[in-house]
Amino acid sequence: MNDCETRMDAAAYVLGALEDPESYREHLATCAACREEVAELERVVDLLPATVPRAAASGELRARIMASVRSEAELLRAAGERADQPPTRTRGIFARPLWLPAGATALAAGLAAALILALGGGSSSPVRVRAAVLSPSEGGAHAVLIERGRRGELVVRGMRQAPAGDVFQVWLKRGASAQPQPTDALFGVTHGGDASVAVPGDLRGVTEILVTHEPVGGSRHPTSAPLLHVVA
Amino acid sequence: MPRLRSPARSGAAEHGRLADEELIQLVARNDADAFEVLLERHADAAFSLAYRMCGRHAIAEDVTQEAFLAIWRGGARYDPTRASVRTWVLGIVHHRAVDALRRHDVHARRRAGEEGLEETLEAHERTDVQALDNEAARELRDALEGLPREQRRVIELAYFGGFTHVEIASMLEEPIGTIKGRMRLGLRKLRDHLEGWEALPA
Repeated sequence: MNDCETRMDAAAYVLGALEDPESYREHLATCAACREEVAELERVVDLLPATVPRAAASGELRARIMASVRSEAELLRAAGERADQPPTRTRGIFARPLWLPAGATALAAGLAAALILALGGGSSSPVRVRAAVLSPSEGGAHAVLIERGRRGELVVRGMRQAPAGDVFQVWLKRGASAQPQPTDALFGVTHGGDASVAVPGDLRGVTEILVTHEPVGGSRHPTSAPLLHVVA
Repeated sequence: MPRLRSPARSGAAEHGRLADEELIQLVARNDADAFEVLLERHADAAFSLAYRMCGRHAIAEDVTQEAFLAIWRGGARYDPTRASVRTWVLGIVHHRAVDALRRHDVHARRRAGEEGLEETLEAHERTDVQALDNEAARELRDALEGLPREQRRVIELAYFGGFTHVEIASMLEEPIGTIKGRMRLGLRKLRDHLEGWEALPA
């Protein structure tokens, strides 16, 4: 039996209906009775999707999703293979055919070339490339984080221009519930929406990298929703 | 050497025999064939949930696409101790659908939170309104339908409509405590049903 005075919140929490779920999560960390109640009720909520009328995802939707996935997989593979080779071979990169799936755009090819250039930088540190998650407003854009040892570089393609008077600003999160910390990495994009920006400092302890629109000069706290984020 | 389509196809066939949990590990290594198998297995359930919540075909497709691309891009991490892959995927869809509902106008949300939405499904989109994944889900739907109307309503407005308990209280002109209490009573009844079925011999 749950005698906790906030026990009434467990059901609203598992239904996603609390206004401030974060402070309830803090309560859960200290209250075994509420944790138990949440776990029991979550099993019910987990099954709610199975009660909805079944509809079929269209073939067009599946094809759209797979087109993005296959072009990104190919980009990541191209970047990864390049990273495994000695950096002295960078001059030959355009001679090497880059296989792209049907439907991959010139934009994607441009990003692959940029990735390969960025990776030819002559370091023996292990390199990892991660795709960024973009906000729905940035449909058609691509972004990746290139991690070379403890240094990071963001490469974006096809982003929309920042509103007049605004720049793009890079933010770092250290820890899942931490507030984003500002960096002095402020940037703009070309007419095509392209940019490449070094992530300031050391990536150790960084859990997430975000980009927002901010007034020229940057902000101390984000004033707009993230345009993209990468889990480091 | 250029890659050909055909080896990728046979790769997908190989992957078809793997469990979801194994596919997720391959997806983390950017294996598009593994991802395609996961998409085939879960796309209908994902779209069904998004459609039930958003009530509009285009928004439901956007939500489904965002959710699967987030999974592909590693923006969400799967924890096998917490739930099945299906439950995890649907949790991401739910989260994205709530975001979409909160971006759109409140009337669409109110409609989505109400019962009887299946009438708006077009015939070609309806597979079988009665078809559910398994016995437990069918029983749960019956139990949900058997709840007192006011308990069912707050659960549906919250979960499918994306409303907070404060919004529901103001919409129904009831105290916040009453709304939370109905949510709790309703969910506990559903939980008791579940426990009852699980106690039955297989």
